[in-house]
Amino acid sequence: MTQIFGEPVQRREDARLTTGRGRYLDDLGRTALAAAFVRSPHAHARVRDIDVSAALDVEGLVGIYTYDDLDGPLAEPLPLLIPHPALTAGRTAYALADGIVRHVGEPIAMVVATDRYVAEDIAGLIDVSYEPLPPVVGLPAARDGNLLVHADLPDNVAAHLVQETGDVDAEMTRAPRTVRFTQTIERSASMPLEGRGVYARWDAQDDSLRVYSSTQTSTSVRAAIAAKLDLPPGKVEVIAPDVGGGFGVKIVHPWPEELLVPWAARLLDREVKWVEDRREHFISSAHERGQIQDITAGYDDDGRLLALDVRIWHDHGAYTPYGIIVPIITSTQLLGPYKPRAYRCAVDSLYTNTVIVTPYRGAGRPQGCFAMERTMDRIADELGLDRTLVRERNLIQPDEFPYDPGLTFQDGRPLIYDSGDYPELLRMIRELVGWDDFETIREQSAAEGRTVGIGMACYVEGTGVGPYEGGHVQVENSGRVLVSTGLTSQGQGHETVFAQIVAQELGVPLDDVAVTTGDTRRFGYAVGTFASRAAVMSGNAVALAARNVRAKALRIAADALECSADDLDIIDGIVQVKGDPSSAMALSTVAVLSNPLRYAFDSAARAATQFAPRNDPDRAPVDEDDEPGLENRDYYSPIRSTFAAGMHAAVVEIDCDTCEVRILRYAVVHDCGNLINPMIVEGQIHGGVAQGVGGALYEVMHYDEHGQLLNASFMDFLMPYATEIPHIETAHLQTPSPLNPLGIKGAGEAGVIPGSACIASAIEDALGVRISAMPISPSDLFELLATDPERTRRGSR
Amino acid sequence: MKLSGTAQLSSPPARVWDALNDPAVLARTIPGCQRLEETGPDAYTMTVTAGVASIKGTYLGQVRLADKNEPSSYVLHASGSGGPGTVSAECLVRLNADGDGTALTYDADAVIGGVIAGVGQRVLAGVAKKMAGQFFAAVDAELRGLATVSEPARPDQSVADLQRTEVHPGLADRSWGDRNIHVDVRPFLVGGVAGAAIALLGVVVGSRLGRGR
Repeated sequence: MTQIFGEPVQRREDARLTTGRGRYLDDLGRTALAAAFVRSPHAHARVRDIDVSAALDVEGLVGIYTYDDLDGPLAEPLPLLIPHPALTAGRTAYALADGIVRHVGEPIAMVVATDRYVAEDIAGLIDVSYEPLPPVVGLPAARDGNLLVHADLPDNVAAHLVQETGDVDAEMTRAPRTVRFTQTIERSASMPLEGRGVYARWDAQDDSLRVYSSTQTSTSVRAAIAAKLDLPPGKVEVIAPDVGGGFGVKIVHPWPEELLVPWAARLLDREVKWVEDRREHFISSAHERGQIQDITAGYDDDGRLLALDVRIWHDHGAYTPYGIIVPIITSTQLLGPYKPRAYRCAVDSLYTNTVIVTPYRGAGRPQGCFAMERTMDRIADELGLDRTLVRERNLIQPDEFPYDPGLTFQDGRPLIYDSGDYPELLRMIRELVGWDDFETIREQSAAEGRTVGIGMACYVEGTGVGPYEGGHVQVENSGRVLVSTGLTSQGQGHETVFAQIVAQELGVPLDDVAVTTGDTRRFGYAVGTFASRAAVMSGNAVALAARNVRAKALRIAADALECSADDLDIIDGIVQVKGDPSSAMALSTVAVLSNPLRYAFDSAARAATQFAPRNDPDRAPVDEDDEPGLENRDYYSPIRSTFAAGMHAAVVEIDCDTCEVRILRYAVVHDCGNLINPMIVEGQIHGGVAQGVGGALYEVMHYDEHGQLLNASFMDFLMPYATEIPHIETAHLQTPSPLNPLGIKGAGEAGVIPGSACIASAIEDALGVRISAMPISPSDLFELLATDPERTRRGSR
Repeated sequence: MKLSGTAQLSSPPARVWDALNDPAVLARTIPGCQRLEETGPDAYTMTVTAGVASIKGTYLGQVRLADKNEPSSYVLHASGSGGPGTVSAECLVRLNADGDGTALTYDADAVIGGVIAGVGQRVLAGVAKKMAGQFFAAVDAELRGLATVSEPARPDQSVADLQRTEVHPGLADRSWGDRNIHVDVRPFLVGGVAGAAIALLGVVVGSRLGRGR
């Protein structure tokens, strides 16, 4: 059998996506009415009046809707999707603002018109009068509590979350040495190339709704629409077409637009579509990352971390529709591959008058990694030890798995590392980047008048969180294999990797397998694509379904070939007796036989009819415990998450005049268990590293004191181009997960997590200044060089 | 949908009252009125061409005046149906002497259905108020012996209005913006509805555009 699992098979979706044949949201519904939104220009205001009179004469107006038009569940606040005991003051917005707006961009009115130009003109003619209220912008203002985001919350605190293991106070007191420092982490955002979008078609005859949404979860969007529009879920279909990037922001649902567009389609009995523009994405979707961290670490003279006490203030924006997943992940994934005796992380999740904060690739982990890895660098610095040595002394050892740090993960289950080999990863990254030879390079560079530094950072990432995913595998009479799973794709290559898994399990050529994702018409039960879970969850689900199909195929073929199923194998789509290829039948024939027929519609079907030679008069055509068809549906539901790990190292050069940072080398070692497709894993790492570089050096959400986002466009929001992304050197370690049949772990977010910590470490190494903020711009660095009192040495480590 | 408004007319209540009860005047002044027939004491049927936003159509309506208290108040009952939907409305109209003229107030409660009901409350209310305003202005002009505001006059005016709105970013500086200059606003002027016979008419009208099936 040809090996397909584990091979660097080319992505099958790329030919379509790179030649303009993708079907993205805006490619659909060309004749639909267009929606546009009137959004708040104020960060905090009371809406006094909405006057539409100037808009009434615009040809092409169909409707204008405000909160007053909403009824039933749609008039209630949007759902708080992920409740948590620590989230004692969760607040969500209304689909359209009910009297008060709490961030710039909050929707107030929806316009529906014959096309988007007209809709935007009408939106511009709607006159909203506001009574501005003082906004809360930035964590210090939120923490002060002098001004309030929600009038009924006197301290702006949405949640107070504490994760604790061991006796932190006692260990800290006993520790021979302590270090304490504060760090700030800026906001960034997912910034998919394609923003959000919704296109809805109402069928008045059938009382049913079909919705296309650029989402990371079609099944859950369906559930939300059904609940909010009072429709039976069976009357709602949701399809995620090709999605031009998600990176987390599209797991949030239902977005106001995801409810309002279908609602208007039903109300008007017309197709309605809305596609987000870039400014809307900046001010009306979601951001991430913003935190202040106060870190105290107790350690011994060898650099062993004894106690770690972290206080975090997390900027949650104006509402908490996605719960406190981001700070939960920060606080539980912060420890990475290390094992301090005691750890405590206390998080205050604070409201501000800014865009909501929900997971963006990495989802709280880059902040946790920044805290932990900068702590390791501090300890090394204080003791004058090599940074890799300090890390090595704190690593969880291979014989300690499964390792339980004593924390509760984002799925409410114990966080237990299932497998890994962190010392080997450390050895590999040192080798890959040439850590031990770097002093020579530093000296050579210095001789040329160049300033270089090296840094590193490690992470452990909980991936493949439950509760479940399912897969359906069907062999058609043609021999073609249809695979479907409910979770969605945003460019990860699911059409390729799920096909690889099924082709391998079933024994068919890869080209015979076609994969559908994110279409509730094909698969109704699913959770969604997030937390690096698609390969783990749906990969294992389609594998299980394929194994069941294989078993059934062998049973039917054994009957037909009058042999034992144990003697059969499936090779390239042919079921054959092992060692005797002459006794064989095509899987397509087995598919025909699997469905007993009365009517022969073609020559192949004749073999399955009631007068076919193999028809046994003493057996029911379909056995009691069987069903017609060569297909199966199965689910994978893990006990716990599986934990991938990796380490990054970077070499940077600083221009000491301009303080520009150039990344000379970037190395990644990575362990996501068994690799389904190394090329796709590398692609995931490359994309993640690019976003990590963005977070380390460029990306800032520049809010002014009034809560106006000053850089809400691609003109002003700095993202790295290809020119800023170095060649990325990678090496893989494969420690299979014991938790799932395929032994795999997630890889989607790995590339981004340690980026800021790694680059900060390298800059610090090059210049000897303390880096305690991310991102770090040339201006910031210039300022630091001029003022840092701790700047003592260069290249001493 | 509840809707109320006021209109200032320059003639005294008695004259306004007469005008509002004169089918000939009504036929001339109800925006969009194509046909108005008296079917009995204080009862009319009418055909009105009206539209809300892009949902336009011809409506057939019945209007009945009740609880008349000449010259100071009456209640207008109107119902109508047309392509885009149905409306039924009840509207209390009060005429109060105000100097030499009349201060007219109306309070309407309309039930609107059909496609037209889907355009949003603010659009419906906006159109209804606008048509009511046009109707009363026309009645006022009629009473003052001026030419009734005719349909062709309005589009011009509204061109001016639109040109004034160039302050709205995006209207003026987009190449496709000029198409808005040629908007045919007559359907809105028209509107008068069904019946509404009277003043309310306008009101009703607006609302009726929307009454559902």
